[in-house]
Amino acid sequence: MGRIVGGIGLSHVPSVGPVVDRKRENDPAWKPLFDAYVPVREWLAKLKPDVAIVVYNDHVAEFTFDKYPTFALGAADSYAIADEGFGTRPLPAVAGDAEFSTHLCEELINQEFDLTVCQQMGVEHGFLVPMNLCFPHTSSGWPVKSVPLQVNVVQHPLPTARRCYRLGQALRNAISTYPQDLKVVVLGTGGMSHQLQGKRFGFMNEKFDQWFLDELEKNPENLASLSHHKIMEEAGAEAVELIMWLTMRGALSPKARRVHRHYYAPMTTGMGLITFED
Amino acid sequence: MCAALCSPAEREAFKKDEEAFMERFSLNEQEKHLIRSRDFKGLIEAGMNIYAMLKIGSASGNSLYRMGAQMRGETYEEFLKTRNISGAV
Repeated sequence: MGRIVGGIGLSHVPSVGPVVDRKRENDPAWKPLFDAYVPVREWLAKLKPDVAIVVYNDHVAEFTFDKYPTFALGAADSYAIADEGFGTRPLPAVAGDAEFSTHLCEELINQEFDLTVCQQMGVEHGFLVPMNLCFPHTSSGWPVKSVPLQVNVVQHPLPTARRCYRLGQALRNAISTYPQDLKVVVLGTGGMSHQLQGKRFGFMNEKFDQWFLDELEKNPENLASLSHHKIMEEAGAEAVELIMWLTMRGALSPKARRVHRHYYAPMTTGMGLITFED
Repeated sequence: MCAALCSPAEREAFKKDEEAFMERFSLNEQEKHLIRSRDFKGLIEAGMNIYAMLKIGSASGNSLYRMGAQMRGETYEEFLKTRNISGAV
């Protein structure tokens, strides 16, 4: 049987990528972020997941505005590292699990989530930064297989927060009916507060972010009622990425136990981290 | 046009002959002017997506934070002073 063993909510700030590539994790400005992941990596090493489902958004690298899927699921055994305009990062290709992905596609579509199924897709910082933080790679590859689940949080109209939460609940059902023994972690990525455009560039709201972390743990149904407008007004236009954390939370039991929590906001994004054990 | 900049060869083409590059993608004169003058504030106001604009930033040597400072009406140095830990770049 497929089984969810953990869930992680975390930011996917692109500047983390070059820090990893240049081995600058101990720089004073970055150490607080990476130190927070030391216990998370130890926890993951004990949970020994087989697959990570990464709920993320592409930033106009693989998906462009000529046609844009609301939800897109990877169904391949390997995912290329995409060039998002800054050159291709020196990372090994990401191993997928096409058989498990195919099961998820069928089960999710049967639950009326009509996904775009991608048998070929490149992944960029929205996916890779969370992997860098949670599952450090070696030259031979990554310690887990992955399933990328791309959500449109870029090209309006966006799916609602509640739709993303329900997608998580459907994902839980889909995982539980997988016939093979498989341990799964779900990563909900993006946010927290940030705005990258216009006069309000650099806006952050720690109070909102801390409240969101509280509610995610104890009252996620309440977060599912948030409108995009409310999130954007309170936490910045790009903070709407937070709806992807609700997919992770929806996939976990309502009573899931919170294990880690951290917050660091050095530059222009509230970088949150929260983990749950199912 | 911005999607094309996700390729090293296309970034080189942009750097080599920006006018020809913009012409290839049928940009209108207003769009060309905004890109020529590196008017990132104007581009956003004209409806450009920030993630698409980042690719122009990369090809033209303007980082996100430099574009952000301009959108705020500040110099890069002034912008950095407003940050909690400005070394995290």
